[in-house]
Amino acid sequence: MDGFIQAIELQKIYHVGNQKIEAVKGVSLQVPRGDFIVILGHSGSGKTTLISMIGGLTRPSLGKVYIEGIDLWDLGDKELSRFRNKKIGFIFQSFSLLPSLNVLNNVLMPVIFSKKAKKDRKALQSKAHSILSDLNMADKLNSYPSELSGGEQRRVAIARSLINDPDIILADEPTGELDIRTEHEVIEIFRNINEVYKKTIIVVSHSLSWMQKAKKVIVMKDGLVQRDIADPVEILMGGHK
Amino acid sequence: MRVFRLAIKELIRRPQRNALLMLAIVVSIALITSLTIVGNSANKTILEVIAKTGHTLTVKPAITEENATSLGNLTTTEVVIGKYIPETVIPEIKKLYDKAIQSGWEKRGTLLTSIGSIEKEIRIEPPTWAPRLYEKVRFKDKDIIVAGVEFDKEYFVRFWWNLSSGEWPTDATRLREVHEDEALIGGSLSTALGYKTGDRITINNMELRILGVLEETNSPDDYMLFIPLKTAQKIFNKKGLVSLLSVRAMCPQCPVGDAMVELNKTITGITAVSQLDVAQVQFDFFNMLYKFLLAVIISTIAVGIFSIFNTVTGSLYARVREIGMLKAVGASGFQLLRIFLYEQLILGLTAGIVGYTVGIGLAYILNSLLGIKAIIKLNPEYIWRALIFGVICSLAAIIYPAYKLSKIKITETFRTQWEI
Repeated sequence: MDGFIQAIELQKIYHVGNQKIEAVKGVSLQVPRGDFIVILGHSGSGKTTLISMIGGLTRPSLGKVYIEGIDLWDLGDKELSRFRNKKIGFIFQSFSLLPSLNVLNNVLMPVIFSKKAKKDRKALQSKAHSILSDLNMADKLNSYPSELSGGEQRRVAIARSLINDPDIILADEPTGELDIRTEHEVIEIFRNINEVYKKTIIVVSHSLSWMQKAKKVIVMKDGLVQRDIADPVEILMGGHK
Repeated sequence: MRVFRLAIKELIRRPQRNALLMLAIVVSIALITSLTIVGNSANKTILEVIAKTGHTLTVKPAITEENATSLGNLTTTEVVIGKYIPETVIPEIKKLYDKAIQSGWEKRGTLLTSIGSIEKEIRIEPPTWAPRLYEKVRFKDKDIIVAGVEFDKEYFVRFWWNLSSGEWPTDATRLREVHEDEALIGGSLSTALGYKTGDRITINNMELRILGVLEETNSPDDYMLFIPLKTAQKIFNKKGLVSLLSVRAMCPQCPVGDAMVELNKTITGITAVSQLDVAQVQFDFFNMLYKFLLAVIISTIAVGIFSIFNTVTGSLYARVREIGMLKAVGASGFQLLRIFLYEQLILGLTAGIVGYTVGIGLAYILNSLLGIKAIIKLNPEYIWRALIFGVICSLAAIIYPAYKLSKIKITETFRTQWEI
């Protein structure tokens, strides 16, 4: 099997009352290490369900997810939590920061749940400082989420996703609700993370702005991969159907 | 940062909600603590009275509340001034008493040939009769009560008396002769007048030597000067008169109540009161009141816990998205459960401490409002009970919703965000 991340025939069926909703209808993906993939699609296309199955957040109805050869959905709750904590950094559109913690502690939050918490305390703090400096947030260490702009909150969430040095970053609408200028700044940060930190990134978005920076674009429609484009410029030139 | 610190920070974030949540537990603990403290202290005080008075009957002239005497900050009808029982009546009282005790035992199935005999393994000692004569005198611009007593009898009847200094005017074991000019002084009176052992005090031109100072007993005795009965009758010109007769039955289950009824029925102009019966009635009444209040409080707490459960459930579900985010960044169900449990543990312990403190204050207020006059005694066990109760209430309210939430699927927590 090729690919750092492998999704094989993923299918997700939700039961709402007597209704059966097929959110993802047998999607297979191969993501090499260090790739930067953007999944585009309209609301209801199944892109968020797909990324949440890949990230170990939603159990697929059918199909398998392998990360570095490990069958993700074969793990128990504790192992899966540990795996997510160690291997995957998540960035959400909203509700991503704890209001009771300052920027530094929000970034360090995943550490609380890892085995690193007791050791390397100083090293982890200096790592958080360094990541926040790279994201131009060094002067906001002691600020609370309510004191930050939307773009700044997003940067803190990005810093948090990097603190455990995961191999994979999964982001769901990380530029949603941001103005164009901030959106471009955030996209640039993701590109840097991919190039400088060598992280494998999968982003789910509505926005076409991602296409300029992504290495690969997947377009989803009605729970299926409609197009799989290795050269995103093609989309820009031809438009997205 | 650790899970525990995260829990503290989450608690601090919602001070008002948490304060309200704690309030229900604090009120419950305060009510239970205060009632327990007052209840136990009152019962203990009453039991001490029972233990002190034993099976004692007091016979005094028939009086009304108007005859109450003020002693320091104490107003009592136990001390009657200006009304007397002639000593000539005493043999009749004794005779009636003995007869009533005898028939009381017979009613209980014990045959008594005479007082002092042994029947069915019960030895009935003859009772001790201790007469007193009370007179009020003006001394150093203060009204003081002089009690004429027979010290050798008093020694048996007031067996809880102790001396803080000096010696007894009489001692049954040494059979020391009582001198007519010897006196004992009550603890409070000694302090008020500044008189101590060895001092001399002149009452109605009679110089008396203070032989000892009594330890405080929280009774009218603390405000009295005790002199020999014969001396008192002489200097106050009250020969052949007494103000009070105390009878100690000298047997554990003597039917003193029967004697009381018989005396009150037969002899006019006197009132007989069984101290044991009075204390027992107080004890029973207070126990009944205590049980009633406890039942009311427990019902209130049951309702309170239900409301705490609702509040906690509501507040946890309000945090459902945070919970999803914490799970997404790697928190296991057990780690999430730990956060909630720590939060509730801190709340419960804080509520326990606050509730206990408020409860102590409330106990003093209740004691004063209900006029129980119990000597409040704090027991270290109460604080442990308060803390354990606080923690149990707090945890009981959270365990189910916390368990459910710790098992929630992450995508369910982001339902509005993680669209399909």
